[in-house]
Amino acid sequence: MDLHAALSLGLPLGIGVAAIGSGIGLGLIGQGAMQAIGRQPEATAKIQLAMIIIAALAEALTIYAFVTMFLLKGKI
Amino acid sequence: MRGRAVTDMGLEFLARVRNTSTWLGGVIALMAATYAHPLAGLAFGAGVLWSLVNLQLLERAIVPLFGPARGTPEGTRRIGIALLGMLFLFAAGAVLLALLSPTALVSGFMLPLAVIVVKAATRILLDSRAWSGIVNHRWRAGVAALALAIVTWFALGALTNAGSQPAEHGAAQGTGHATTAPAPGEGAGHATVAPGEGAGHATAEPEGEASEEKEEGFTNIIALLAGAFPHAAWAHFLEHYEILVFSLLIALILLVVAFLASRNPQLIPSGLQNGVEMVVEGLSGFFISIIGPKQGPRFVPFLGTLFIYILSMNLFGLIPFMHSPTASLNVTVALALTVFVYVQFIGFKELGPLGWLDHMLGSPRDLTGWLLAPIMLPIHILGELAKPISLSCRLFGNIFGEDMLLVAFASLGVTMLPFQQIPFGIPMHALFFPLALLGSALQAMVFTVLTSIYILLMLPHEHHDEHGHEAGAQHAH
Repeated sequence: MDLHAALSLGLPLGIGVAAIGSGIGLGLIGQGAMQAIGRQPEATAKIQLAMIIIAALAEALTIYAFVTMFLLKGKI
Repeated sequence: MRGRAVTDMGLEFLARVRNTSTWLGGVIALMAATYAHPLAGLAFGAGVLWSLVNLQLLERAIVPLFGPARGTPEGTRRIGIALLGMLFLFAAGAVLLALLSPTALVSGFMLPLAVIVVKAATRILLDSRAWSGIVNHRWRAGVAALALAIVTWFALGALTNAGSQPAEHGAAQGTGHATTAPAPGEGAGHATVAPGEGAGHATAEPEGEASEEKEEGFTNIIALLAGAFPHAAWAHFLEHYEILVFSLLIALILLVVAFLASRNPQLIPSGLQNGVEMVVEGLSGFFISIIGPKQGPRFVPFLGTLFIYILSMNLFGLIPFMHSPTASLNVTVALALTVFVYVQFIGFKELGPLGWLDHMLGSPRDLTGWLLAPIMLPIHILGELAKPISLSCRLFGNIFGEDMLLVAFASLGVTMLPFQQIPFGIPMHALFFPLALLGSALQAMVFTVLTSIYILLMLPHEHHDEHGHEAGAQHAH
């Protein structure tokens, strides 16, 4: 397998794998936040803020894969 | 009375012609600038403008001539002004004819006249019996509309295939799929190269290395300008510093809005001042709720400016012929470095150099802490350095990804109908505008919220781990 084939196979796959991880993480974050809001609706604003921050952190991982894809796209 | 009514109706008709011509002319000029040569678009727009001003002046001259003001000195004066204006207009027209492409100019000039003719024709058509026969029957109306759409589609296809220039070039500009598109015919192929010489220098050779970067994404106004004036130094300058130009433009717009809103402050605000105050109060309350009521207000100007600026930059790419500066890593890295330096500066100022070092060592207070300090120092340093990287990459990746998504679906909308070489398509990307709006706002918020949390971590009372009695001490103070 030469570099081109490896890259064109690996880059989309890499994004997909990263997206799986991010998706699981986001799901857990959302679950936790929803349960917390359900338990304490008066704290909705604070919980939402924390949820968004952590969701951004989790989502960043996929974005890193995405950026890597664009960095390496020129070599395909 | 009757004559008055007729005049009013005529004027109303003229006003409608003016509206239609303005919008139609603007859209056609923009499309011509994108898909054909930019100068052609400019010439077309100039022609439409010229014709509209001409019509307006004619109206100004004729209304006093036949209206109630006839014969009065006021009316005569108005006629004189209108005639003088027309003199100037004709001089301007001569200059334009010498400068720009006459064909585009004249077709632009003809547009309002064509609109008048078509409007008059539809007025006759609408009153006729055949029309009401078609319109009042549901199925007949549907079939007629479908037939009209199909005829228009194939007529356009035939027109573009017949060798009028813009087809393939337009497809290339809009979607970047020129390489895969089958050439519609030798004639069209020739024509593409000829007018595209200036505008589509990059498109003429899609395999070229340099064209790679310009190909992706929607075309924007600066690329059009650079295409229109391929040899001008200022156009090259603009194209090279495209992102800077856009971000400075946004800063300028925000500056003007802020100036207009605060120029004449009222106790009971209204209009622009009201809206801006609402935004400022909302942001202020939001950031103070994160950082705390004591320290918060100091940082609201920085964080609020950051939020508004990033939000504007994110949303700017959704305006046609504009470009999001944040879809470039250069801008986001600059923003993130600003935040990094500011946060470290806050740390130095608030904690002092020794306190800052203590913070970096993980605030050792007992033996375990001191033993762990050599490990904590590199971890903290790495953590600090990772902040700007993650901030910038997150913002860049999200906005760039959004833009690419829109581009991908727009080109899908065009390539879904590949049997005609027309730069039109189904606006598939419109579905993703809500997502882009949401993502833009969310990313601007995430950036600023993370910044405020970094600031919060640097502030002296928060970085101690012993939450319990520290918090108690805080309350006691």
